[in-house]
Amino acid sequence: MSRNVLLTLAATVGTLIAVSIVVVLMVVGGDRRVLLVGATTDAHHQLELACETCHSAPAFADAEAAEEALNKTCRDCHEDALDDNDDSHSRKRFRSPRMAAYWEKLDARFCTTCHVEHRPEITRESAVTVAMDFCVACHSEGDQDIRTVRPSHAGVTFDTCANCHNYHDNRALYEDFLVRHAGQPWLKAEPVHALSAQHRAWEPPAESAIGRSEAVAPASALADPSTIDHWAGSGHAAAGVNCAHCHAPDAAENNLQKEVGESWIHVPTASVCRDCHRQEVRTFALGRHGMRQHPQIAKPRTPETGLASLGVDAVLPEAVTAWLSDPAPPTQMRAAEARLPMRDDARAGSLDCGTCHEPHAVDIEHAAVEACASCHDDPHTRAYFGGPHHALWLAERAGEAAPGTGVSCATCHMVKSKRRGKVTTSHNQNENLRPNEKMIRPVCLDCHGLDFALDALADVDLIVGNFEGKPDVHVESIEWAIRRAEAPADALR
Amino acid sequence: MTPKFVRRAAVGLGAALTLAATGAEDAGVPHAKVADMIYSVVSADRSVYTRMVVERLTIEEEAIEASEHFEDDVALPLPAQMFRFGAELVADETEDFSYSLLSLHPINSKNGPGTDLEQEGLRFVLDNEENFYGEEELGGQRYFAAVYPDFAVSEACVDCHNNHKDSPRTDIELGDVIGGVVIRIPME
Repeated sequence: MSRNVLLTLAATVGTLIAVSIVVVLMVVGGDRRVLLVGATTDAHHQLELACETCHSAPAFADAEAAEEALNKTCRDCHEDALDDNDDSHSRKRFRSPRMAAYWEKLDARFCTTCHVEHRPEITRESAVTVAMDFCVACHSEGDQDIRTVRPSHAGVTFDTCANCHNYHDNRALYEDFLVRHAGQPWLKAEPVHALSAQHRAWEPPAESAIGRSEAVAPASALADPSTIDHWAGSGHAAAGVNCAHCHAPDAAENNLQKEVGESWIHVPTASVCRDCHRQEVRTFALGRHGMRQHPQIAKPRTPETGLASLGVDAVLPEAVTAWLSDPAPPTQMRAAEARLPMRDDARAGSLDCGTCHEPHAVDIEHAAVEACASCHDDPHTRAYFGGPHHALWLAERAGEAAPGTGVSCATCHMVKSKRRGKVTTSHNQNENLRPNEKMIRPVCLDCHGLDFALDALADVDLIVGNFEGKPDVHVESIEWAIRRAEAPADALR
Repeated sequence: MTPKFVRRAAVGLGAALTLAATGAEDAGVPHAKVADMIYSVVSADRSVYTRMVVERLTIEEEAIEASEHFEDDVALPLPAQMFRFGAELVADETEDFSYSLLSLHPINSKNGPGTDLEQEGLRFVLDNEENFYGEEELGGQRYFAAVYPDFAVSEACVDCHNNHKDSPRTDIELGDVIGGVVIRIPME
C-alpha cells in the first residue's frame, strides 16, 4: 500500500473519530468545553456549559425552529423584566403582520437580531452585537424618520442615539417625563430614599419577640452563648423566629427540644430562607449572584436520555456512562469565577443567602455595604468609602440622620418596591444596572433632580469615583424636550 | 408592568376568538364574517371599558383621572391604550389573527397607515363611515383585512385628540370618524 493511500486512510479515520466525538458530545453527553465556539457574555458565562438552557431545540432541528426555540429561552428568563420596564420595542408590538416591512430591516421579533452569543469580538455593553447606529434601520425614512418627526434631530447622527435613548427601557427618558421633571435642583431640600426609610423604620410587633430563655435547640447549640446572644438580639428573635424554624423546620411547629435535636440541620440552605423570604430568594436567582439557581437552567444530561433522543435505547457500561455524563454543574457562583475584580481573600467563597447575611447577627445592615466590599474590589467600590454617599450612610447608622438619608451599596443596586403596604428588596442586583438610567426612577430621583441624575449617570469618571464631585458631562434631553413643548403647535406638525 | 391577570384574560380572549375563527372557517364562514365577529368582541370590550370604567369614574364619580401616562399619574389607561394593550397581548399569543387601532391623523406616528391597504381602508372609512374589506400580502403571507370606522364616541376622545401636542388634527367633534380598527386574518 502506497504512502499516500496510508495517509489518506489515516486522515479519513481520524476525521471520522473526531466527528464522532463531536456528535457524541453534542447529542449524548460529556464535557463540552471544547465545543464552545466563542466566549459567552458576562452574564451567561455562569451557565455556558448548560448548553440546553439556550439551545433548547431538538438535535437536528431546522434552522428556523432552532432560532425560534433559542429566542423563546431568552424570553423565558428576560421577558418579565422587559414587561416591567415598559419595553419600548417589545416583541409583541412587532409580531403584527403590519410590521412586516420592518422585519427585513431589523427584526425586533427576535432577541438574537441584536444579541448574538459567543461573539466577544463584536459584543458591546449589555450584550449588544449590532453597530452603534442600528436605529438607522427603522428611523431614517417614511413616517418614522426621526429627522422629520423631530426636526431638532435633523443634524444628529445615528451613532449618538444611545446618548439619550434606550432601546428597551425609556421610563425616565420620555418627553413628557423630562418636561415634568425640568428645573429641579440637583439635590432636593430633604433628600430621603422613601422606601429605604420605610424599610429601615419597620419593626415587628413587640408581642412577637422572644428572648434567649425561649431558645429551643440541642444542648450542643445552646452551649454556645455567643451564638444564642446574637440570635436573641437579631431580627429573627424580634419576629419570634425560634431556632427550629431554620435548623429543624420539620419540628418547628411543636418546638420540643427532643424533636428539634433529632431534626437539627447545622447549616440550613436557602430553601429554609425561602419559607419566609420567598420574594428575596426568588429574585436572588434572577441576578448574577444567584443565577446558577435559576429554575430555567438546564439540568445535566445523562447518556441514556441523550441516546433516547436519537431513538437508541441502550444500557451502557458504568465506565462509559461516567465518561459520557455531563460534569456536575456548580450550584453557586464563586467569586473566583467573576469577571469583575474581586478581593483575593474572597475568591474561595461561593454565594448563597448566608454569604451576605449573618442570620444570628444583630447588625442586618452588614449586607448593605460591608458584605459587598468583602468581595468586590474595583475603583467604584473602593471610592464609595469616604465618598459622599458613604458619609450619609455613616451618619444615618450613627443615629445622626433620619432613616433613608444614608446611601448604601444596596440603596442603589438592590431595588426596593412596595406592594400592599409591604416594602421588599429585590435581590437581583442587576435589575437596574444596565442601562444605568433604569436607576433614575427607583433610586436617584428620591434625592436628586432629573437633570443632575441624567448628567451624573452619563459621566463615566464620576461613576468610577462613586459620585465624588459634580458631573462634567451634560445631557441635553430636558432642554430639547422643553423646546419642543414650548414650540408653536404648527411647528410640531 | 403587565399584571398577570390581564395577560391571562388576553390569552383567554385570544383563544376564544381563535376557536371561534377556526370553527367559523370549518363551517365555511367567510373571512369578512369572521372579522366582523372579532370586531364585535373587541369593540364591545372597549365600549364597556369606556362607559362603565373611564367615563363613570372620571366624569360622573370624579374619583380618578384617565391619563396617557397612567402609571406615573396613578390614573386609568385611556380606552385607546386599553385596546392596544389587548391587541399586543393577542399578537404575542397567536398568529391566527391580529388587530390594531390606526388613523390617518394619529397622535403617535407609528399608528398611522403602514401599508397600501391601510391607507386605502382608512381613507374609505373616513369618507364613507362604512366598513372596508380587502386583501394584501405582507411578509410573504396573504391576509384578509377589514377596516372598521372608529368614531369619537366620548368627550375624552375629542379632548385628547384636539389638545395633544402631537395630534395632527384639532377640529374633531363628537361622532366624527377619527380612525379605524384594522383586523387581519391569514388566508392560507
